[in-house]
Amino acid sequence: MSRRCLIKVDKCSLSVPVFQPEDQQLMTNPLRFISDLYLSRTRRGIVNLLEDISLELHPGERLGVIGPNGAGKSTLLRLLAGIYVPTTGRVGIQGSVKGLFDISLGMNPEATGLENIYIRGLQMGYTLKKIQKMIPEILEFSELEDAIERPLNTFSTGMHLRLAVAVSTITAPDVLLLDEWIGTGDSGFRDKLQERMHKFVDESGGLVIASHNTSLMRSLCTHGVVLASGRIVFQGSLEEALDYYQQEAVVPG
Amino acid sequence: MNKPGSLIYLAYFDFAVQYRKTMIGPVWVLMGPTLFIVTLGLLFGEVSNVSSEVFIPHLTIGLITWTLISGFVTDSTTVFQRNRAQIMQGGMTLPDIVAVDVIRTTLHFLHQIIIVIAVFVIYDLELELYSLLSIAGLFVLVINGVWLTLFFGIIGARYRDLTEVVSAIMRIAFLATPIIWLPAERGAGGIMGAFLTFNPFYHFLDAVRAPLLGHEITMMTVAVIGGITVSGILITVIFYRRLYFRVPLWI
Repeated sequence: MSRRCLIKVDKCSLSVPVFQPEDQQLMTNPLRFISDLYLSRTRRGIVNLLEDISLELHPGERLGVIGPNGAGKSTLLRLLAGIYVPTTGRVGIQGSVKGLFDISLGMNPEATGLENIYIRGLQMGYTLKKIQKMIPEILEFSELEDAIERPLNTFSTGMHLRLAVAVSTITAPDVLLLDEWIGTGDSGFRDKLQERMHKFVDESGGLVIASHNTSLMRSLCTHGVVLASGRIVFQGSLEEALDYYQQEAVVPG
Repeated sequence: MNKPGSLIYLAYFDFAVQYRKTMIGPVWVLMGPTLFIVTLGLLFGEVSNVSSEVFIPHLTIGLITWTLISGFVTDSTTVFQRNRAQIMQGGMTLPDIVAVDVIRTTLHFLHQIIIVIAVFVIYDLELELYSLLSIAGLFVLVINGVWLTLFFGIIGARYRDLTEVVSAIMRIAFLATPIIWLPAERGAGGIMGAFLTFNPFYHFLDAVRAPLLGHEITMMTVAVIGGITVSGILITVIFYRRLYFRVPLWI
């Protein structure tokens, strides 16, 4: 029996057609709709965002994704989250998966803080009862008891982030995906936030994180992959991956 | 896929928050159509010989139902761009997002029904058992709103100018559909027949309006609605299966 895999990615590629601005206008050529639908694969330039990606994540493992800007780190995370569907290959996920990308986005600025807790909770698939139970804990962590009845657009950036983190980190998934570590904010709150995030990672079954922060990766991750131009160029323990990346990064190109 | 209950609550929050900005809040939604109906009712009372008891209910139900139809159509093209954050965070599928948008537009309509009730009270109009058929017409209309929003949402994510094309068409369709005018005596066989027969909006509108006014729904209306509903759902399912995975890359 092979060990249970949380994530099993098998030879995945993701390629997308490149659009020119005029390609997005129907009125410049109304027949384009028909030709796009039937001829799209032959006519347009294709960019491979990810190529031939294979990786596995077992319970308890924490994978750091290393690579320069534009290497495809965020794209890989979105592929694992099921937002992007691979063009070829397969992504298999066991259990629940949650990605924290841009968590401050997508809240309703006209709605109050409390309403936004409900909105975000419902979007994450919780029932009303469960959300009601979550509220005291969210208020306690975010320290927003006084402001929670006010519209979100009266919140400061820090308050906004506190609320977003509090709601997003209520229940730990089997697989947690992080695009950069969440940990900025006012200094008084930073320690509390760090503690919360570390606890959240500990409760999750496995972690995949993309980051440029090597010291954070050292403290957090067990394994590492190095991405370059959408390909995995190295896969191994985190130390080996960081060493590889630092050696290769010196060489231009 | 989220639970239907969650989607209804999400739509309700959208709906409720939308009108909080204004001082008179939800009343604002009723003001616009009411002013339109009163003004047009006075105008047509002067220039035509149709009594206001016939024209005003026709205009009111027509206008409110048209707001629902045109709301579905014009909102559909931007549905995925507007919900980019939700799509890119995961958790909500494209059909979830479509459902929330359709329910929100429908809530808006249900709210405006107050104007229709007021008109029925003012003109002391009576409802029969047959009028209940209007609810079925509304149900079919909302079902069509779902496939339509998904279908045009996908195309609109790819072609950004679809919004302008669609709103231009809807402005013409408003005039071509008997809302601010009455079809001639003989209906589809009359002088404006072509505007009724070949106008799908008319058939959907009539399925809601005719039962309330005690008019008959023609077989042609039933056939057109049935045909559009079935073929619309089929085409959208094929279209969705073929293209759904492209939408996150397009927005």
